[in-house]
Amino acid sequence: MISPSAALPRAARTTSEEGDGVIGAKDRPANLTGASDQDLVEWAKQGHEPAFRELVRRYERPVFSLLYRMVRDRALAEDLAQETFVKVLNGLASYRAEFKFSSWIFKIANNAAIDHLRKRDLDTLSIDGSPHATTPDEIAATALQLDGRGEDPLQEVEARELGSAIERAIGRLRPEYRACILLRHVEGHSYEEIARILDLPLGTVKTYIHRARNELRVHLQDRRE
Amino acid sequence: MTDPLQHLTPDEVEQWATGLLGATRAIHLAQCADCLAAAERERKFFRELAQLARLAPSADFADKVMAKVRIPTPSGGLEKR
Repeated sequence: MISPSAALPRAARTTSEEGDGVIGAKDRPANLTGASDQDLVEWAKQGHEPAFRELVRRYERPVFSLLYRMVRDRALAEDLAQETFVKVLNGLASYRAEFKFSSWIFKIANNAAIDHLRKRDLDTLSIDGSPHATTPDEIAATALQLDGRGEDPLQEVEARELGSAIERAIGRLRPEYRACILLRHVEGHSYEEIARILDLPLGTVKTYIHRARNELRVHLQDRRE
Repeated sequence: MTDPLQHLTPDEVEQWATGLLGATRAIHLAQCADCLAAAERERKFFRELAQLARLAPSADFADKVMAKVRIPTPSGGLEKR
């Protein structure tokens, strides 16, 4: 990871660090891709539109991926991702720099997904059917049909994107486990960061991840047999 | 101090898979075929998860977001784009 200072030219570092902590327009590098999140936030707060766009560019895929895997509906995930970014970018004034920007944006994204799943009661629905279904008929009745004829183009895209064994196994996890496993193994957050993102005690996060891994192993074993 | 003969815990297996296992426990791993096999299975599993694709939203996603973002102006106000 590039430190805030290392991301800036030497002259900019001197100005920024010796001044009042606010990085002025003349200190901004022309190319923002190497800048730290913290610097981008500061520039965005000063009204620098490219800094907003760089934050979107940097996080659109990770945030969308998390949401898509949480709600398993491409259009809905895109709506929730948009809602997340608008909330984050319009709320930069309330952002606390001691919190990692990535943790903050994932926290808001995850809350959006969980709120939606609670409202729509989709938490038990997956492409393999509800985990609470006990008979083949119940499983079929609750399964999302992602293959076969009659799919629209969007469903075909979803089937391709979330159709692998491991994606399907993740889809069978309960939402809390799913969020933990995605943040840990796909996004690479530490247990402590996940606890902050999900507002859960550290011990609970460890338990969820341990259980989620065991469930994934069982689901993946089922497919091999 | 952990007994050098004691098998690795799940936490230690994860530490090994992420390159963070201490040297003492790594010695046990080098000498215990059961732990090594379990650890390698776990590492393969973690890699599979880590290699899941970063999925992209639609091409105009950033524009849709920016259309709803209020950019601060030099006067301290907010400009809706």
